[in-house]
Amino acid sequence: MANKRILIVDDDPDVRQAMNVRLKANGYDTFFASDALAALAEARKQVPDLIILDLGLPGGDGYVVMERIKRYPALSVIPIIVVSARDVQANRVRSIAAGANVYLRKPVDNAELLAIIRQSLGEPAEPDDAAMTGNWRLLA
Amino acid sequence: MKHPMQVLVVEDNAGDARLLHEMFSNERPGSFKVTHLLRISDALAYLAKNVVDVVLLDLGLPDGHGLDTIRRARAVAPGVPVIVLTGLDDEALAAEAMKEGAQDYLIKGQIENRALPRALRHAIERNRMQSETDLIRVHQLQFKDEFLSHVSHELRSPLNAIYQFVSILMDKLAGDVNEEQQQYLAIAMRNVKQLQAMIGDLLEVTRVQAGQLTIEPERTSMAAAVAYAVNTLEGAATAKGITLAVDIESELALACADPTRIRQILIILIDNAIKFTPAGGSVTVQCRVFETDSNMLVLRVLDTGCGIKLEMMDRVFERLFQVPDDSLAGRKGLGLGLYICKELVTRQGGQIWAGAAPGQGAVLSVTLPIFSLPNLIAPIIKRMSGSQRTVTLIIVELGSETGWLSDEARSEHTQGVRDLMQQCLHSDRDVLLPKVSSAGAAELMFIVAVSDADGAESLSSRIRTQFKASEPARAAGLTLSSSHRPLAMARRSAVDMMDDSLNSIAGALEQQINHELSLRMVANG
Repeated sequence: MANKRILIVDDDPDVRQAMNVRLKANGYDTFFASDALAALAEARKQVPDLIILDLGLPGGDGYVVMERIKRYPALSVIPIIVVSARDVQANRVRSIAAGANVYLRKPVDNAELLAIIRQSLGEPAEPDDAAMTGNWRLLA
Repeated sequence: MKHPMQVLVVEDNAGDARLLHEMFSNERPGSFKVTHLLRISDALAYLAKNVVDVVLLDLGLPDGHGLDTIRRARAVAPGVPVIVLTGLDDEALAAEAMKEGAQDYLIKGQIENRALPRALRHAIERNRMQSETDLIRVHQLQFKDEFLSHVSHELRSPLNAIYQFVSILMDKLAGDVNEEQQQYLAIAMRNVKQLQAMIGDLLEVTRVQAGQLTIEPERTSMAAAVAYAVNTLEGAATAKGITLAVDIESELALACADPTRIRQILIILIDNAIKFTPAGGSVTVQCRVFETDSNMLVLRVLDTGCGIKLEMMDRVFERLFQVPDDSLAGRKGLGLGLYICKELVTRQGGQIWAGAAPGQGAVLSVTLPIFSLPNLIAPIIKRMSGSQRTVTLIIVELGSETGWLSDEARSEHTQGVRDLMQQCLHSDRDVLLPKVSSAGAAELMFIVAVSDADGAESLSSRIRTQFKASEPARAAGLTLSSSHRPLAMARRSAVDMMDDSLNSIAGALEQQINHELSLRMVANG
């Protein structure tokens, strides 16, 4: 089976690269965007299986990206994981209402992120996943 | 002063009032405008509506007595200086009044010639300087908090990059690493984590200071939280030769707490215990129903370390507290961990204290409320009194081409719905709870919103549109139920397609909520 494809949207090149290494090592194909416009262009071109989205982006924030993505029926079904340093209280519900599947606060625990990716993609869970996402499953 | 000074005299004794009037009449015309009232109630009403430069206040009025009089006046007009009028035998009371915010006091019958205008001007000037100093202080504190918060935020990004790439090397994602290299990377990682924790603590403290510490209580499994914390710290314990044990009552009730905060508390407590326990010792995390209050859970972290001296047992929770002799603890921390813990525990309705562990060592105990509907609803009642907000439950059933949920499947979820409802009722934000069941044929989802009726309507229409756009093959049925509006009204505005059994779940829930609400209202008087 072909690798699942993940679009990573973050304006920090270090974050993109670290995530790239991490996700590739776990059998995912990755591609990137560093601003809102590029995120939309990449999403339309590649139609990924999952999007990891930062909220603070140049040229329109993550909410703008989600709003646009949800307008395209072909893209609106793609699970979105928001990964942001912004305040949880103010942004989690807003992110979910905007179409995100889950809101993760930076710095993100790699094991937690991978567990949530597997869950969002409907892939079989690894042994430790339940402990990592216990809290998340309750809410999202 | 160009305009006449606006003086409010509150004095019920006609003789005293007359003397004051005479003194004012000796002053240059147009320099004072005196308003004379007899009662504190009239004075408060006047202060609320008029500009007053200074108040001359008798402490023995028909409808107000002693310090209460000045407190009431200060509450209505905190920015207006007050001079208290007292009798000769009441100087002690006058001194107390100064502690309550009076600028000065004048002893009736002892006011020397020219002393009155001087006292008034002094009071006004002192008051102005005081407010200025207060304002500067507030700004300085604000600036300090903003600065700390900003710095900590900015420090996190580069540190996170270091963390990510060190962990990539350690996990051998960039090729093989020999044993010595692995060892050095582990040291780097340990220090990165220490720095992350310290920056996290700094940020947390600025939040505490700014009153921005967020707590989102929900149904929380202590076992899961303990498992997470133990998993995180097992490496540190093993490295130090310490056994990390868990002792949790089976079938333990769930806590009404913020799971993220509980993890945070556990990590601070266990990390501390490991720090102060010598090699060969043990750290035990225990959780059970609190022996002295069955409404609470108690969490204990016991160690076999050096223990805490009796006189230090309260002090360890102070901000910036450091153990005087930390030969055991190794490198010093910031002294913020237990302070943050205490804030986090107290804000969740629990308590934290330190004690001696049986045998040897210390035990840190934390209590947390057990998850129950009354425990959850209490804060909502507090918030809702006087506000127009309502709790709205929106039930969404997603039907597909193969049909809707069966009656049995739906009733099976009734209990689950109630639990989930309980889980979110306390929240001061909208809560979305998609996908309670995914029974093939259909899916049941619950959305609880704390908002007014209009907000609930617009939310439900947004949900409807979203589902139409994203899952055109499916039909969505929505029921809207509000705890303060008649359900029938909400039903009319909601979409059709809902069958009776789903409506009856919503109805039962609403009854339950209303019942709990009314109980609480009565209990709160």
